[in-house]
Amino acid sequence: MWINMGPQHPMTHGLWNLRIKVDGETIVDAEPEVGYLHRGIEKLCERRTYTQIIPITDRLCYGSSLTWSHLYCLTVEDLMNIEVPPRAEYIRVAAIEMQRIASHLMWLAAYAADLGMLVGFIYAMRDREIFIDLLQALSGSRLTYNYPRIGGVAHDAPPNFVRDSLRACDYMEGKIAEYEKLYDGSKVFMMRNEGVGVLSKEDAMNLGVTGPPLRASGVKYDLRKDQPYSIYPELDFEAVTHPDGDCYARYRVRMEEMRESCKIIRQAVQKMPQGKWRVLAPRIGPEGTGLGRVEDPRGEGMMYIVGNGTQRPYRVKIRSPIFVTVSAAKHMLLGYKVADVVAIMGGLDMCIGETDR
Amino acid sequence: MDKRGAGAPAGAIERAPTTVGENPEERTFKALLEAFPSTLTDFKKLRKGIVRARIERRDLLECCRYLKDKLGFEHISMISAVEYENRFEIVYHITCYGSCLLLELITQTPKDDPTVESVSSVWAGANWQERESYDLMGIKFNNHPNLERILLPKDFMYHPLRKDFKG
Repeated sequence: MWINMGPQHPMTHGLWNLRIKVDGETIVDAEPEVGYLHRGIEKLCERRTYTQIIPITDRLCYGSSLTWSHLYCLTVEDLMNIEVPPRAEYIRVAAIEMQRIASHLMWLAAYAADLGMLVGFIYAMRDREIFIDLLQALSGSRLTYNYPRIGGVAHDAPPNFVRDSLRACDYMEGKIAEYEKLYDGSKVFMMRNEGVGVLSKEDAMNLGVTGPPLRASGVKYDLRKDQPYSIYPELDFEAVTHPDGDCYARYRVRMEEMRESCKIIRQAVQKMPQGKWRVLAPRIGPEGTGLGRVEDPRGEGMMYIVGNGTQRPYRVKIRSPIFVTVSAAKHMLLGYKVADVVAIMGGLDMCIGETDR
Repeated sequence: MDKRGAGAPAGAIERAPTTVGENPEERTFKALLEAFPSTLTDFKKLRKGIVRARIERRDLLECCRYLKDKLGFEHISMISAVEYENRFEIVYHITCYGSCLLLELITQTPKDDPTVESVSSVWAGANWQERESYDLMGIKFNNHPNLERILLPKDFMYHPLRKDFKG
């Protein structure tokens, strides 16, 4: 029997459909369907100038919009061969790591609510506000920031940014330990996570899974470490892995990543040099191609921009990590029960905005 | 296209006559050129850890198989299709987890015959990305397990990323 979970379903976190074929309670086939939120962003970008595209890329993912506009600016800087001033690089790294924590916290909140632990939802959403507030102080808005610019950032960090960031990191590190006590101590949470949705190392690599699900399957590959961009080579942090490949491993990887992000923010704001935060970029892009590649909170985000010597890009291609990861859902679901679907798909941190583009 | 070489002395990046196996870029270049001497061209280092090569359409699948089985390129990062005035280019970004090298492999098809062999038998992760290229750009991938529209409705009649589609 085929069951449709979605497009309107509490499990889906956005508009998409998971069709599963069941034999009794066991899943024997699965087929995700996406495309309900397709806005044609790649086509929209071809009709706008390089600067006008920045707010559009913010709309790619509502959970971590800053990483996408950062990725776009990185790609255009690669195309135009622009050097970004060091202060801007430090501000950007601090900001995208705050965004990573905010995104992981939103995942944690939604995941806890999925698994029937509403108290986890309330706590994680409360602490996410701290990082949203910091980003608001930085950029002026709460969720879609429009903050990075081609050649730097829109404005300098506010006066008390360093002090507030350090306080937020101290607070967050205490809270992560508290969450671990709360989640790992919950028998229901552990029962629904351990040994569920196992994805082997070979499958994960072959299916193109990236980000926390890949590292949870035991592959030590983090673009911030292995193909460093921006100022990451100067910072001291670890790529987190876990050998098990199940839902619990994905939860562990994300929790440890939040700790590492706190470490990065602390170093970035303390080492931040004085100076310019933006250089003016040309309005007209050259002929040629630009490639940008970042470690998004959800995996490997990539952009490929072809310029043709006008003020508009000729082609913008966006690689969404979740688009590829969700195609691997079948391999995680087969053989498990219907009740595990929520844990398995929730553990992937779906974001439909970037999947459908 | 040559902007990356701007800081370095001319020709220092592309040629570099070093011993075999000195760095991953050189190693990959040597191995690929030995395996596909006539169809692989334009090998070029874009920046550290990123190289580009062009392959003719008829050798694409063989080349991808070789890359995965012999050279350890285990991850297909991205498949993009670009329409130019006289051709389609399909760009494969392929990652090697061991040496952290990213290979940008470009293949061309003529405008009136946008077909290319599917690589989803090599990397299962290519499946949906090829479907996306088919859906939005109209590239046909031969021997694809399920070449259907993925983002747009099944009865949609156009391929919207083509330049002649005015939305």
